[in-house]
Amino acid sequence: MPLLSMTGVHKRYGGVRALDGASLSLEAGEVHGLLGPNGSGKSTLNKVLAGTVSPDAATIELDGQPITIGKPRDAAARGIAAVYQQLSLVDSLTVGRNLTLGVEPTRAGFVDNRASAAEIDEVLERLRPGLGPGVTATTEVSSLTPGQQQLVEIAKAVLRRPRILILDEATASLHRDQVQLLFEIIRELTAAGTCVVFVSHRLEEVMTICDRATILRTGRTVATLTIAETSESELVRTMVGDVAQAERRAELARTDDMVLRVRGLTAPGVSDVDLDVHRGEILGLGGLQGQGQSELLLALFGATPIRAGEIELNGRRVANTSVVKATGNGFALVPGDRGSQGLFMQRAIQENLSIVSLRRRLLAALGISMRRERGVAADAVQRLSIKIGGLDDPVTSLSGGNAQKVVIAKWLLNEPAVVLLDDPTKGVDISAKAEIYAIVRELADSGVAVILNSSDDVELAELCDRVIVLYEGRIRTQLVGDEITSDRLVAAALLIGEGDQGTVDETVAAAPDGSDR
Amino acid sequence: MTAATTQRAGMPDRLRSVVRNPVVIASIIAIALVVIGQIVSPGFGSYNQVISMLRISSFLGIIAIGQTIVILSGGDGIDLSVGKVATLGAIVGARVMDGTDANLAGGILIPLLVGAAIGLVNGLGIVYLRIPPFVMTLGMLGVVQGIILAYTGGAAAGRAAPFLTELVNTRWLLGAPGVLFVWIILIVLVTLVLRRTRPGWNLYAVGSNRTAARLSGIRVNSTVIGAYVASGVCAVLGGLLLLGYTESVFLNLADGYTLPSIAAVVIGGTLIAGGVGGYLGSAVGAIVLSVLQSLLTTLNMPASHRTIVNGVILLVLLALYGRQRKLRS
Repeated sequence: MPLLSMTGVHKRYGGVRALDGASLSLEAGEVHGLLGPNGSGKSTLNKVLAGTVSPDAATIELDGQPITIGKPRDAAARGIAAVYQQLSLVDSLTVGRNLTLGVEPTRAGFVDNRASAAEIDEVLERLRPGLGPGVTATTEVSSLTPGQQQLVEIAKAVLRRPRILILDEATASLHRDQVQLLFEIIRELTAAGTCVVFVSHRLEEVMTICDRATILRTGRTVATLTIAETSESELVRTMVGDVAQAERRAELARTDDMVLRVRGLTAPGVSDVDLDVHRGEILGLGGLQGQGQSELLLALFGATPIRAGEIELNGRRVANTSVVKATGNGFALVPGDRGSQGLFMQRAIQENLSIVSLRRRLLAALGISMRRERGVAADAVQRLSIKIGGLDDPVTSLSGGNAQKVVIAKWLLNEPAVVLLDDPTKGVDISAKAEIYAIVRELADSGVAVILNSSDDVELAELCDRVIVLYEGRIRTQLVGDEITSDRLVAAALLIGEGDQGTVDETVAAAPDGSDR
Repeated sequence: MTAATTQRAGMPDRLRSVVRNPVVIASIIAIALVVIGQIVSPGFGSYNQVISMLRISSFLGIIAIGQTIVILSGGDGIDLSVGKVATLGAIVGARVMDGTDANLAGGILIPLLVGAAIGLVNGLGIVYLRIPPFVMTLGMLGVVQGIILAYTGGAAAGRAAPFLTELVNTRWLLGAPGVLFVWIILIVLVTLVLRRTRPGWNLYAVGSNRTAARLSGIRVNSTVIGAYVASGVCAVLGGLLLLGYTESVFLNLADGYTLPSIAAVVIGGTLIAGGVGGYLGSAVGAIVLSVLQSLLTTLNMPASHRTIVNGVILLVLLALYGRQRKLRS
């Protein structure tokens, strides 16, 4: 009998099916990997288990007894603890207080610090090789490095003596020796009967530490494999499945005319990125989510400070030191989160459309002609076939796809030379998605340089002429033309492939001045 | 598609949106208060009495221009120094004018510059030192109080220029003093700036979503600083007109205007979180507050009771507005 089994787990977010009948079966004393490409539902499944997401439907059995997990407290009461890459530590409290937060031992209603001190010291001592000598229970969390904080977060979960411990990308910010320490601790826990659910984008870690792995694809469980009997390439094949090859954009008569040339770009979350975009080309950014794609776009757009490197637009060096400058230089960014970064929710559609390009149409450099603004906005609405009630309606009245089109339209009105798109079809229904694809293609055909970050590999394959795959802020590899397929994208994202792991293939990653074509 | 975009909302919808418009609600409240006053104390609603109440409203209304702009700019925007800055403006104005029209231009210009400078410091502190607006402007209130004491040595000197006094106190057209027409011009002007200029649209964008504003190429910092400068200037303008009303100045002349200026903005339907609203509402809000004050005075209520009733009515109004917002979203 498994320790825990989940079957028929369904979860929808609006029109998006995150989980569509996923299942998971865990044994006591095993390390169980959870694998799948971007958007396959592994995080959602984890969160259902940890109680932070309540499923639309699910059957969960613990020790053969059916249970319900509606909120994090339920999970905690059943001995389920979770550690995420996003930390849950309180920065301004000490390590010790963080470790016992919410489960402080009490005596007569008062927190009894002495009782917990011994336990805390024991855990910290165990983590000593990873934490370094300076860290004690009285150290403030804000003074720790991200890796140390991650270890404290793990210690916090371990201290609760869970029966099931979920580690969701918990190794992302750890150094190699800290990972080794974590693996030792994991082995001690499993020896004592704990089950560890392990999610990592580093496939080698999964191969090293896991006993079995469950593989998800588009919200469904496709297989549970025993690691000792499988290989990395088989894992990837199972993850990708037999997807129909995406309909690729017709090769167009591409010119050698280089619009955007970036060399050695280093910025927060981005290291030493070179890229070239030719006129009419769509350059894709691939890789696992959060490997620096959004950060690269923000840096190009002047929204985060560029520490090193240069950007050339049409052969002229540009200094995108601020968004205002970048906008003036002809850059446009459709940001990753349209609600918090792209739209003025309480304002009318009209204003959302006009705001960026207003400068171009002013009377006496100050006044707004409503007739002109309405004309321009109505044109944009028609051109992108945005479905709206009226231009004066608030932008909140729009569906996700139409809201995203408003964000795209406001930039098109500014006639940009470079359009940066950060996952533009996230949370957008299928028909709007197709329309956005058409808009992006049309943009490229009209000579605009387009850089598209997408968490959807099929989308990259369908739209892009070239894709650079990022890993931890660096270019890992580059795929051109027919090389852009879902399985090659996944393999590249997970660092498996033609034996060039760890080194950037200079000839493809940085096409020198277009001389390779 | 074009059919959909040009489609007009049906009449019932439009009627509903008019009835729910905060400016309309505030206007109805103002009129209702006048009617109640007329019933309780005949003559309260007479033409001259109404003009007199509007004249009193204009000082608060003009101070509330800046408060409206600052609150619209979002980011917990608020200016708690407006009352004190208005007082300082009046004090400086009185001393420069010294009771003659010859010094009128300087007597207006110099205080306005002082107000702009104070607003600039507020804006710089909020934007670059990241001091919360509440704390920054509260601190500024203390600083300005100190400046007033240092500048006057505890006794204010000077008088309003006769022109200024005449502008506020003498009936000019239709039995109304010039100050009312100044206010009307300002209402039109401020509304035009907010609705039909790029800085105005940028202000709404910044107030609605600062991240999106920054990522749309709007100079967020300049916009916010500009809002606080405008607030300092408007506060001084209100203070100067109040000086014309009182002719001579005293050390706490306009101190009590800060909270009413915020209340006027909220009653006028401007969202305290920023990004939604306008000045016409605040102007009507100022009228509501002044009429309410007059009504309570007419009822011969002792000052202490008046203050309590005033506060309770404000809370009730704010609660109603808050509820309405929730219903709409």
